[in-house]
This record gives sequence, structure tokens and C-alpha cells, in this order.
Amino acid sequence: MTSLPEPTAAKTVLICEDDSNLRTLVRLALGDGYRFFEAPDGPSGLALAHRTHPDLIVLDLMLPGQGGLDVLADLRRADDLAETPVIVISAWSHSDEAAIEAGADRFVAKPFDPNELRDAAVALLEDDGVPA
Amino acid sequence: MVGSALLALLIAAVFGVLVYAVTTLDDATKRERHAKAVTAQTLQLEKLMLDLDTGLRGFVLTGKRDLLGPWTSAHAALPGRLKAFRRLASTTSDERRRAESLIAAIDQYVSGYAEPVVEIARTTPAASRTAIVRVEGAQELAGIRSRFGDFLSTENALSAARTSAAQRRSDEAIAAAVAGLIASALLVTGFGLYLSRSIARPVREVADGAARLAGGDLATRLKPQGFGEVEELTNAFNRMAERLEASRRELEAQNERLRESESAKSELVSVVAHELRTPLASVLGFTSVLRQREVTDEQRREYLGIIEAQARRLAALVNDFLDVQRLEEGNLSIAKELIDVGSVVREQTELFAGQSPKHLLDVSLPETPLAVRGDSNRLAQVVANLLSNAIKYSPQGGVVRVTGKREDSIVRVSIQDEGVGIPAELQREIFGKFVRGHATAEGIEGSGLGLAISRSLVEAHGGNINFESTTGRGSTFWFELPTASPE
Repeated sequence: MTSLPEPTAAKTVLICEDDSNLRTLVRLALGDGYRFFEAPDGPSGLALAHRTHPDLIVLDLMLPGQGGLDVLADLRRADDLAETPVIVISAWSHSDEAAIEAGADRFVAKPFDPNELRDAAVALLEDDGVPA
Repeated sequence: MVGSALLALLIAAVFGVLVYAVTTLDDATKRERHAKAVTAQTLQLEKLMLDLDTGLRGFVLTGKRDLLGPWTSAHAALPGRLKAFRRLASTTSDERRRAESLIAAIDQYVSGYAEPVVEIARTTPAASRTAIVRVEGAQELAGIRSRFGDFLSTENALSAARTSAAQRRSDEAIAAAVAGLIASALLVTGFGLYLSRSIARPVREVADGAARLAGGDLATRLKPQGFGEVEELTNAFNRMAERLEASRRELEAQNERLRESESAKSELVSVVAHELRTPLASVLGFTSVLRQREVTDEQRREYLGIIEAQARRLAALVNDFLDVQRLEEGNLSIAKELIDVGSVVREQTELFAGQSPKHLLDVSLPETPLAVRGDSNRLAQVVANLLSNAIKYSPQGGVVRVTGKREDSIVRVSIQDEGVGIPAELQREIFGKFVRGHATAEGIEGSGLGLAISRSLVEAHGGNINFESTTGRGSTFWFELPTASPE
């Protein structure tokens, strides 16, 4: 049942966003070639991150249950997720500094250009993909 | 007041005593001067008598006429002297009596002895009368001189007694005046202290208090003191300070309300911006995808559907924001027409009935109209919002019971669902703005403004709105409006 990860195995992306349309949009923006996990709120997003150890997390700030900044702080405290690249997307355009300070790698303001989000994701994943 | 009157009285009395003392002294001086004058006059009279006697004696003894000189001049001067003496020595009846007695003795001597003797001596030889003259004259004169002595000593004794009495009275008066002056000085000092305590100090304290007030310390109060105008001044000051403090508190409260309203407004603007950006992200994002990516026809239809729905959501949000704005500013006009809430409920239920096949809308209304005064469009908005919530928050479907009825003087409309219910921690703030609870997690759309708007609308109709809810079992929202009084 479990197979060894193939060298060409698709990168995994966790989308933590409460608006289902925007989850769809994030998927479309990043395009084919990724495996997506989706969570509509903070607690389930964290749980999913711990379970799947994604290559990239796209995180909304305004989340029910637990705010995005709290989720980010929890991620950065976890040993196995502290280095996982995180793109924060938020309609609170002035939250960029707070997000970067909390450990986000990129901040993308809503509404966003799908290409901008894709470029950010590609850059982070390539960075991450190059072994030291 | 009493103090100052007392003081004036005392000072007047002291002056009275002083005037009395001065008058007494003056009187004593006059008496003394009079006594001296009487004494001098008496002595001169006595000398005149001696001159008479010397002249008489010399003439009678020698018979020489030139020796009669003193007699002649004294005899000529005597009536004038006597007249002057009588006038002078007549201040008291006693003095006058003694003076008259003396004058009578002198008259007796002059007319009864001296004049006849001189007359005889002029006509008859002196030698024959010598013995008579010597003996009678000497006796007469000795008697008169003794009377002079008595008169003078009596006069002197009386004068001394009067002078010492006057002196005593004067001393007493001066002592009384000095005591009075000391008492006055003490009273003046006391009165000054009293003025300082009862007027000057309170006035100074009011001045200090006014300075503190001017400096911004509006809690300044003066303790009650003084009486009359000073008391009024103190009380007026305290009333003024209270008014000032109350005004400042009022201003501060207003300021605080303004600040809160400002901060609420800026928070609203911020929240509005956020709420608008989320659907806007879908509209712009999917438009970009359609323009830039290769998509299937099916995807195109799906994405266009999302874009249209999100654009509608944007439009609805803008309407809700405007309603909230108008309601908060009290600018939303509510018609006060006679309407039937029953028909409003019926129309809205029919509109919603076809929307969700999973839900059954069960309407129960009386046959007679539920008459209220109000705005049918706005009440329709409330009913639509509650129906929409009932459907949205019971995603599994079920029965939505809509009931309208009259209870006493109110019309009550309730909408009951079998949905997810409202979590306990959200129940308190469910009528607040942008409260959506777990709705987002469930994928339930909404502005989070519906209940806030509904409550404002119901309250603008003079009614109230509330709910009961159990998580997992469903919620019942109801609103009550006063029935229209038949006019």
C-alpha cells in the first residue's frame, strides 16, 4: 500500500482558508503538479499540517477557531514544521509586517493576482527543494 | 453687627466719661479761681478796714487832721469794695449769708462806731474820748477781724473741699476713661480678629479656591463658614464648582462617546474593507484565471458562476453596510403605515420555499390580519433575514416552522429551524456586527450584518427581537411588534 516516494513525486501544498472559492482559486493559481490538502479553519489546518508535513502552506489570517497568526506561531514552534515555507494571504493588507514577524516567508494581499501567488510558491519550493 | 454696635457704644461712653472728667476739672479750676478771688477781695476789704481804723485812731489820738488821710480814702473806697465783695461772694447761699453777715458787721463798725467817733473827734477835744476810742474801737475791730478770719478760713475750707472733691471725681473719671480706652483697644483688636476670621479669611479662601478652579482643579470645594454674605459667597462658590465639574464630566463623557463612535467607525471601515476584499479576491482571481489559463467549457461556466455569485455578494454587502450606516445614524426612514404582518410573512415564505429542496417551510398564520404600524419593506427584510438564516444554518435540511400570532397587545412572529444552533459562547454577541460564528467553517455565506440590521429595524418599530438556541438541535428566532391601535 505504501510506496516509496518517487523522485518525481508531486510537492504537497496545504491550503488553510475559510472561503471555499478562494481555496479553489489558490489551487488554480498554483496549477497542476501539486497535491493539495485543504482546511477551512485554524485547528483543522494545524492538525492537517502535523499529519501531512506539506512542502508549502498557504495560510489565511482571518480564520475561524484560531487566527492565522496563532496557527503560524504554533507551526514555528513545532520541530518538524518550523522550516516549512508559509505564504500568508490576507485581506488585512496592513498585516504584512505582523505576518513576516510571526515567521511567514511571503505575504500576499487579497485580492491577489494568481500569477503572483504561483511565482511566490514556485520560488519558495525551489529554494526548499535544493538540498544543502 | 452686634459686636460693632457694642464697640461704638463703648467708645461713645469712654468719650462721655472723658468729657465729664474734663468738665469736672474745669469746674474745679473755676471754683479754685473764685475762691482765690474771694480771698483776695476779703483781704483787700480787711486792709481797708485796717486803713479806716488806722486813720481813725491816728486822728482821734492826735487830733491832727492830716492823719485822717487813710480813713478818708478808705471810707471813700469802702462802698465800691463792699459792692464788689457782695457780688463776688454770692455763688452759694451759704457764702452769701456769711458775706452779708460780714458786711453787716462792717456797716455796724463804720456807721455805728467809726463815723460817729470821727464826727465827735472833729467837734470835741480828742483827749476826752481817748479811753472810749481805745477800748471800744479795739473791741469792734478785733470782732470784725475775727469775722474776717472766720470767713476766710470757712471759704478756704469749702474751696479746698470742693477742689479735692472735683479732683477725686476727675481722677475717677480719668481712671474710668483709661479703663474704657483699654477696653476699647481690646475690643477693636478683638473686632479686627473677628473681621479677619469671619470675613477676610473666608474671602481669601474663596479667592484661593477660585485660583485652584481656574487652574483646572474642579474638585475644589470650600467648607461652609461665616454667615450672611460670606456664607452666601461660600455656598455660591461651591454651587459654581459643582456646576463646572458636572459640565466637565458631561463634556468628558461626550468626548468619550465621540471617541468610541470614532473608533467604532474606523473599525467598521476596516472590517468593511476586509469583508469586501474577500469576494473581490474571487471576482478578480477567477477573472484572471479565465483570461490567462486554458480552461474547459465546464470550468468556464463554473468560474463565471462563482464570479457572478461573489459580485452579487458584494452588492448585498454594500446594501447591508449602507443600512447599518443609516440605522446607526438614525437616518433610515421607517414608514408608519397600517400593514398586515401575516401577509408579509406569507410573501417571504413563498419566495424562500422554492430555493432549497431539502427544507420544508411550515407556515402557521391566523385568518385575521396581524395589524401593526410600520414599513412592510423593512419588516420583509427582517423576515427574509431570519428565514435565510434558518435555511443556511440547517444545512442538513429539515422543517422550518414559521408562526405568526397575536398575544395581548403584541404581534409575535417566530421562525424555528432544526439546524446547527448557536454555540453558547456566541449567543451573547449574536446580534453584533460581523458575528458569523462557525458559519465560515461550514461554508455558509453572509455578511454577519443580518441580525444586527434586523434588530435595529425591529427596535425602530418599537418592538424587540430575541432567540433560543441549542447547539445541534436548532434555533428559534422571534420578534414582537406592538399591535396597531384601531384609529
